[in-house]
Amino acid sequence: MNKTIVALSTARGRAAISVVRMSGDNSIEIAKQFFRPFPQKPNLLKLGTLTTSHFDEHAMCVYFVAPHSYTGENTVEFHCHGGTAVAQAVIETCLEHGAVMAQNGEFSKRAFINGKQNLTNAEGIIEMIDAETASAAKAGANLLENKLGKRIVALQDTLLDIVSSCEAALDYPEEDLELPTVETSKQKLTDILCKINELISTATLGKVAKYGIDVAIVGKPNVGKSSLLNALLGVDRAIVSDIQGTTRDTLTESVNYRDIRFNFVDTAGIRESNNEIEIEGIKRARKAADSADVVLHVTDDPTDRSVYPTIRPQVRIYNKSDLFKSEPCCVDSLVVSAKYGDVEIIKETLYEMFSAQDIETSDLLITNERHLSCLKQAKLQLTEAIADCDKTTLDVVANEIKQVWQTLGQITGTDASEDVIDRIYSKFCLGK
Amino acid sequence: MTNKNYDIIVIGAGHAGCEAALASARLGCNTLMLATNLDTVAYLACNPSIGGTAKGQIVKEIDALGGEMAINADKSLLQMRMLNRGKGPAVFSPRAQVDKNVYHINMKRTVETTPNLHLRQGEATAIERNPDGSFSVATAVKLVYKAKAVVLCCGVYLNSRTIVGDCVRNSGPNGFANAKYLTESLIELGFKVSRFKTGTPARVKLDSIDLTKTVEQTGEADVAPFSYATDSIPATKRSCYLTYSTAETKRIISDNKQLAPIYNGSINGVGPRYCPSIEDKIIRFADKERHQIFLEPESEETDEFYVQGASSSMPASVQEQIYHSIEGLENVEIMRDAYAIEYDCIDATQLDATLMAKHIPGMFFAGQINGTSGYEEAAGQGIVAGINAERYVHGKAPFTLRRDNSYIGVLIDDITTKENTEPYRMMTSRAEHRLILRQDNADLRLTELGRQIGLVDDARYAKYLHKKHQIEQCEKQLKEVVSPKLYGPLFEQKNEPVSGAGLTVDEILRRTNITAKDVQSLGFFDETDDDALYQIELNCKYRGYIEKEKDAIEQANKLENKPLPNDIDYSKIDGLRLEARQKLNKIRPRNLGQAGRILGVSPADIQILIVYLAQNIHKQ
Repeated sequence: MNKTIVALSTARGRAAISVVRMSGDNSIEIAKQFFRPFPQKPNLLKLGTLTTSHFDEHAMCVYFVAPHSYTGENTVEFHCHGGTAVAQAVIETCLEHGAVMAQNGEFSKRAFINGKQNLTNAEGIIEMIDAETASAAKAGANLLENKLGKRIVALQDTLLDIVSSCEAALDYPEEDLELPTVETSKQKLTDILCKINELISTATLGKVAKYGIDVAIVGKPNVGKSSLLNALLGVDRAIVSDIQGTTRDTLTESVNYRDIRFNFVDTAGIRESNNEIEIEGIKRARKAADSADVVLHVTDDPTDRSVYPTIRPQVRIYNKSDLFKSEPCCVDSLVVSAKYGDVEIIKETLYEMFSAQDIETSDLLITNERHLSCLKQAKLQLTEAIADCDKTTLDVVANEIKQVWQTLGQITGTDASEDVIDRIYSKFCLGK
Repeated sequence: MTNKNYDIIVIGAGHAGCEAALASARLGCNTLMLATNLDTVAYLACNPSIGGTAKGQIVKEIDALGGEMAINADKSLLQMRMLNRGKGPAVFSPRAQVDKNVYHINMKRTVETTPNLHLRQGEATAIERNPDGSFSVATAVKLVYKAKAVVLCCGVYLNSRTIVGDCVRNSGPNGFANAKYLTESLIELGFKVSRFKTGTPARVKLDSIDLTKTVEQTGEADVAPFSYATDSIPATKRSCYLTYSTAETKRIISDNKQLAPIYNGSINGVGPRYCPSIEDKIIRFADKERHQIFLEPESEETDEFYVQGASSSMPASVQEQIYHSIEGLENVEIMRDAYAIEYDCIDATQLDATLMAKHIPGMFFAGQINGTSGYEEAAGQGIVAGINAERYVHGKAPFTLRRDNSYIGVLIDDITTKENTEPYRMMTSRAEHRLILRQDNADLRLTELGRQIGLVDDARYAKYLHKKHQIEQCEKQLKEVVSPKLYGPLFEQKNEPVSGAGLTVDEILRRTNITAKDVQSLGFFDETDDDALYQIELNCKYRGYIEKEKDAIEQANKLENKPLPNDIDYSKIDGLRLEARQKLNKIRPRNLGQAGRILGVSPADIQILIVYLAQNIHKQ
């Protein structure tokens, strides 16, 4: 018998209602002890009284019987009033009656283990939960509908055709099979490679959607980097002073602009220094700039034409425009005054830069590292296989194509070597 | 009632039985081999041919382990070919036409002259396990034999029925008597029995074939013998002929479909997809205009020809029409009818990797009784079962082959891991490491093992060591640098671009058009035999791929080397899906690698097992 787990299924914090869910062999028995009247049938939402040790709560209850539930186990949900205190009391009541607290992602894990979800489904749900912006939620939804899974399965299917033709040729050399030529096979493989490349190229967009864009704010000391961060966030997050070198460590804060998340990194001012702590801070500033998606190079000198030394894209920001006596010398830069909160133009520029348009219209995004690494591996293997078509013998090439197929199978969690043999016999008339 | 005592009794004298009995007797066990009919020893009941894709590799592996099939095939050759030339060394496959009478007689003679081995006619009717763990085997004439271990190699004889249209006979292949009672003993001993089906085509008379309408196929002279002990093979003794079915064949079969036992429900056994009857081919692949038919000689001594590609269970009168519709066979005289045969076999997942029943120590199974098809597959199991029966009797550690060292290892792992839904045929595509499991290196892979077991004699072993030594000597020369002056003329002659710089022997040999023989002509690889040269050549040309394969093996072995204790109760492991629990409890895999190959056990289940094992180690 497995343990019955319980957790709050809706977000923590203020809300109209919250949902507490229990899953496990005993969940229905546990719920019957403190919810009355208990629904007579599964899948039916029923109003009743939930007795906790502190108070009686008017709540709704619904239960599902294995395997017809999200986790594939007996499951009970309580829809109660919102707010932390109520949910906490309901969870405590469940715990008192024998449930245990669920680990992170344990509901999805059980769903996967019980065969209710394939690997991509389960990962999709976890991403959906993690999604912090609208576009990330959409990428999660695509995984959930198994769009990725379907695309991969379609690629696998084409590969299976090619593999089975090769294998039929190898295992049945004496049959007069109508087999595709090397040229047509190569063409098909190249098509698959293109599709894999397309999928991989959505990964950058996927990362943007999921994790947001890292924006490093760099520049000399006292040019107003921390003020700029505060202005961008709309709150006083970083300490601001007139003393050079106030900011020692990097500080990251995120803000959503339309549907994109920006992670702004405030950094220590860069200058020659003998102070050990400041030297470390400057080192971190440089590192933050090198790993950022874009660098905001801040200056308060309208005659400054310098360029921050990085291979990352950068935008020059003339800060403290309220103090400028002349127009800044570089026209392709942004002129702002952090002090007066006039920084919208930075957000707008960044938004344009990262073609939010593409994220909204792209119907498929790779946001999962595991999927990306599988696809990249498949790409490498396939490239090699295509090159080998002309270089070596069919026994080797067939193995290589089979490997591509297996690598893709790691995404969908399918790996059935019998498939090749089944396909051979369904496609070709073979045998004595 | 007499009681005769042996160490081992082998039931059945087919291809599995002969290898099992020879191995056990040669390893010093007093062995009895029972056969329903001594004229069926090593009888080639279907096609008169040994080898082919994946099967040729198995024959060579049997040979390297010290078995008999390769030697016997070499002694009985009509012609030999190498299939898959041009498709790569991993799939080169030797295939021979053999004389079925000579093959039978040669094997029978070998069996008769092997010390410790007693060949006896008799239908085994019952097997009993005695309280002391030994076995008693009773025969139809009420003799009882006793032994410490038994090896069942009953082929397709258990409760077999042959079917020609609506004429069904309780008979073994070719009208030989079947074994009617033994299945009952097996069921009593707890074996799950199912029913499979296979078939064979008609035999026709050579002088009634219009050979002018066929294409003659002779053997090839440059193919090495199957056995590393055979020095050379004879020239083609008899040809094969290629012809085709016609539109008329299609019409006849379509018109008579209702008479086909496989379509009207009178055959219950499951037949192999890779061995379809002509009616099956034509009905399932209706688009295909014509089907290839090979005419193969059965023997030098008769005019009977085997009609490969046209097995059938149609009524004999329809068979006549079908065969007459084949090009060149318009007036052919049928000598023996085609028939389908149904038989009992066991569920080989009840066996472990030594082919011993997991629940009955000392009871081994090999060949078609395990749900496989093919002479070679049977013989490969036979030698493994024979070796292990001897080891069981003498209290030695079990001997198992692996997926990364042999096709036989792949075969045994497959059948003991996955429940067969049809007769199992070996294919190169089943071997994930086929780049390493080649016909040319079977001796290098397995001779050492055969020697340790005790089946490889001094002469054979010396030959192997000699080859290995030559390869090592050649490898030492691979780094030597050759001047353009020396290799230039060769490269020009072979259309390889000359760079002007010195090249190592290795670099030269990796060029597409250069062979090890060419390198030898430059003054390297002195006094090296052709087969050693070939190894050097492959090792250089395919090095990258072979290295990759070795990495893959290492990866796979990470799971393969995680043993699963035999006493795990899978039904109690939290998180395993129901199907996985049932399958794991039934098959009781040796390790995580095998567990992962069980149908119905998912990668998630394996993750859970890994966690379970880790927890248990932690507890201890």
